[in-house]
Amino acid sequence: MVQGKIKTENIVAALIFFFLFICPLFIDSYSVLNISYFLSMAFLSLSLTLIWGYCGIFSFGQAVFFGIGGYFYAVLTLNLTGTSAITPLGLLLGVILGGLAAWILGYFMFYGGVNDVFVGLITLCLTLVLSTFMGQTAGSAWNIGQVSLGGFNGINGIPALELGPISLSGNNFYYFVLIILFVIYCLLKLFTHSKVGAAIVAIRENRERTKMFGYNVPKIQSLVFAAGGALASLSGILYATWGNYITPSAFALSSATIPVVLVAAGGRKNFTASIIFTVLYYWFAQGLSASGSQYALVILGLILILVTLFVPDGIIVFLFHLSDRLFFHRESKMKEVQEEHLHEKNIG
Amino acid sequence: MKLKKISFKGVTLFLIFTLIMVLALSGCSGSSQGSNSKTIKLGLLEDRSGDFSLVGIQKYHAAELAVDQINQQGGLLGKKVVLDAPDTQSNNSVYQQMAKKLILQDHVVAIMGAYSSASREAIRPIMDQNKMLYFYNNQYEGGVADNDTFLTGAVPEQQIVPLMKYMIKKFGPRVYTIAADYNFGQISAQWVQQSVKQDGGKLVGQEFIPLDVSQFSSTISRIKAAKPDVLVTLLIGQNQSAFYEQWAKQGDKSIPMASSVNLAQTYEQLRFAPPTMANMYVTTSFMQELDTKYPGAKTFVDAFYKKFPHDKYVGQEAEAEYSGIMLWAKAVQKAKTTDRDAVIKALESGISYNGPTGPVTIDPKTHHVIRNMFLVNTDSKQKIQIDAEYKAVKPDWLSTAKGVDLPKKPQSHQYTPLGN
Amino acid sequence: MSLSSLMNQFINDFSFLILAAIGLAVIFGMMKIINLAHGEFIMLGAYITTLSAQAGVPLIISIVFGAIGVGIMGYLIDRLIICRLYGRTLDSVVVTWGISMVIQQGMLIIFGPSLQGVSTPLGSVSFAGSTYSVYRILLFAISIGALFLLYLIFMKTKFGLYSRATMQNQEIARSMGVNTNRIYSMTFSIGAAFAGLTGGLYAPTMAISPTFGTGFLMQSFVTVIVGGANPLIGTSLSGGVLGIVNSILDTTWGTFFGEIGLLICAILVIRLLPLGFSGVVEKWFVRKRRM
Repeated sequence: MVQGKIKTENIVAALIFFFLFICPLFIDSYSVLNISYFLSMAFLSLSLTLIWGYCGIFSFGQAVFFGIGGYFYAVLTLNLTGTSAITPLGLLLGVILGGLAAWILGYFMFYGGVNDVFVGLITLCLTLVLSTFMGQTAGSAWNIGQVSLGGFNGINGIPALELGPISLSGNNFYYFVLIILFVIYCLLKLFTHSKVGAAIVAIRENRERTKMFGYNVPKIQSLVFAAGGALASLSGILYATWGNYITPSAFALSSATIPVVLVAAGGRKNFTASIIFTVLYYWFAQGLSASGSQYALVILGLILILVTLFVPDGIIVFLFHLSDRLFFHRESKMKEVQEEHLHEKNIG
Repeated sequence: MKLKKISFKGVTLFLIFTLIMVLALSGCSGSSQGSNSKTIKLGLLEDRSGDFSLVGIQKYHAAELAVDQINQQGGLLGKKVVLDAPDTQSNNSVYQQMAKKLILQDHVVAIMGAYSSASREAIRPIMDQNKMLYFYNNQYEGGVADNDTFLTGAVPEQQIVPLMKYMIKKFGPRVYTIAADYNFGQISAQWVQQSVKQDGGKLVGQEFIPLDVSQFSSTISRIKAAKPDVLVTLLIGQNQSAFYEQWAKQGDKSIPMASSVNLAQTYEQLRFAPPTMANMYVTTSFMQELDTKYPGAKTFVDAFYKKFPHDKYVGQEAEAEYSGIMLWAKAVQKAKTTDRDAVIKALESGISYNGPTGPVTIDPKTHHVIRNMFLVNTDSKQKIQIDAEYKAVKPDWLSTAKGVDLPKKPQSHQYTPLGN
Repeated sequence: MSLSSLMNQFINDFSFLILAAIGLAVIFGMMKIINLAHGEFIMLGAYITTLSAQAGVPLIISIVFGAIGVGIMGYLIDRLIICRLYGRTLDSVVVTWGISMVIQQGMLIIFGPSLQGVSTPLGSVSFAGSTYSVYRILLFAISIGALFLLYLIFMKTKFGLYSRATMQNQEIARSMGVNTNRIYSMTFSIGAAFAGLTGGLYAPTMAISPTFGTGFLMQSFVTVIVGGANPLIGTSLSGGVLGIVNSILDTTWGTFFGEIGLLICAILVIRLLPLGFSGVVEKWFVRKRRM
């Protein structure tokens, strides 16, 4: 339905991906490195958009799967350095593990009837458990194989990804992340416009009614949550390979909150918006930090407050709609988004 | 058809609009230049916000003072030194990003900084990878042997070893250690354990405390139950400093406390009302109270407060930062270039400068510094008394016990007393 | 571990959990807002108390100042920001996160990274071979007093009646002539004031810095989660249960196990009783009334 229409969102997405694909040709290697970090973090936002924006599961725990992915990859690859093809295998297994962990957690929550804000609270607790636990693993007792978990210091020297003879660093890593992001973005778009996707949106809008239609709500919720976990885990692994480093602060309250903040402020029902806002946020936050200004955090905080107050559907989504109206003469009001979804559901 | 036409026009308009936006944006973000012919860019990574800003701001200000003084004396090699100092926000991930930015985008000639050992370990591999000269100007748990890294703060053989010897001799053999539960605390506690053994003492208890803990009543009852003669506190961060107030009320103030980080680093003697911090013993390379006895310290402290009149304290890490920059500057002058290899060579020639509390000299084998150490204690009014002064203490554990000789055997490793 | 040290530990843990959570519980329970700026409210209370105590105001009045000051500030924040978010639970997460960033960094800019503290008043007493800080025992009494105050506010006043009505069904309450927005503002302000009180009470026992509140966050969230929506029943029950769990684990195995124990308790409770202790109690009451 939407694919056929020209909308600001689609044009912007196409432009951005086009720009990202060609930009290493004319920006310096540091910027490429930096953007690949921002893009790695975009997966985390995508995972939350999927489960919160589309399925209505409010999770504080994406950081849990992010950290699990990063730590798993670190422990596996550092234990088996030298083994051929261990890094892509670690990536794959890490993503599966993240998905599995999320599925197990989801199974316990959704089949147990835990929903809404309580999912947020339970995932928040889990984040804090892991952050407390990993923080105290500084002692020599906490070794897995030859790898010390390192406590607050975290694990250093995590090997970069290698695809056969190609080591994924610099531009290679950038394109690797970009291509995965592009593929996953397209898959998510297709998926959410499929029949199952419509069911997911239906669960967000009304669980009871969806159940009446014969959908197994907890099953779908657990599966979506698992997919979100896998995406978050992917993000964690990419982050670990980017900096060759992972610490318990990946589980900290601030790390758990940031994806929620990004997705909410960018537009939580829109994948394009959350990617764009994530990249902009990290870019801006880094710039503020680099400026060394003591007002950096104040400015960042104020922006978040203002965005939530004045553009409740998210700043990027708001801009999309504004531009839709300006350039494409579509009388798209904010409420139409939901109607559109309903419409899609009927057709889908 | 008509509809298609409109949207085509829309698309065109939209694209033009986007193009303008992008141009406007790219116009705004001016790219920064590296060291040019007129200036030398020195990177500095310190926490100016967040949990560690208590020390980070002191260190940042000390660095500004050092650079100012260098520039007042004509700069280096006829160029002005410029600090490139992002705020690392007490966040190790930001440390990594900013280290990469300083190296790859800003092209600084050397990087100073980091407070917690975790931050140092987060950026040290990046320095190694990019062959960047790095100064860690902070007292720490010791053991880092790295060709690209110089460590100008005090190490355990300068702090914990003499302190434990003194404490056990003066107060008795039973020692209880509480330490922050991360690498700094764990490794420092190993040092305490080893010193206690060597000096004929007995470790009656050892406890590691998570960094976010601020309530200590169970720890306090355990300490009291163990009846130690000496209580070693290696606590880090704002939450953990709540221990002292609670110990003063629920604990036993007659048990003397010993530490390598308190007083001189986080000025508890000024932050807590007396007699909370009374009866504490600390070995340090510098603290502002030394200005009553040492003219060099007085000059430094006066210059610091002249530049930063609103600051509350200048302690051992600030001095280490200042000395680190001064040593680097001296090495640059000797090497006549800011080139990494030449500067490292100049530093490894055993370069020395006269710091606030006497000469600070690079030990070529270990890349640490030989410096004067002071053992101080607090009286019941939390005034600082100087108990002992140790002249030119060598940071020789790495070279004697572990056979480290960096100019001859390049490596990048952190040794621990009970590990390898 | 002797019984007296366990008792001592429990007194400490119980009062800490209750006082850490009470402000958060009021705001979460009544307004369904997850207030991530809770730690910063506590920190502000500590600053106000410390600054006025240093200016020569007696400590007890300074603590009251702390509570009132933060209460007023809470009212302002609600009028300016939060009132636009009533009913948008999840957006409030973003906004309160933003508020916490602004407050924490703002205090760092204004007052610097540290502030000289005031020492803990009242000495200590020896009893059955161990030393107790009198102030700690007082804190225990105050935590129970605070719960009682909460009971008075929400059960014995007209405001309490209106606010409970609003909490149960906002639409009907409004149609009955209750100014629900005012009720929400008052509730937020009361929650903030309790946080300020906590900050003031703990200011003499801890180091004062802009990150003062982070030491309370985990405990406060866990207590509220375990307690459930009703701030009074929930907080007191979960404070009691978690206090016992924490003090036993802490005295036997150490601080770290105490912390982990709390968190695992919280996860178990949400899984088994998603509405927390107060949900169970309420259900039980409803059933009893029906019989």
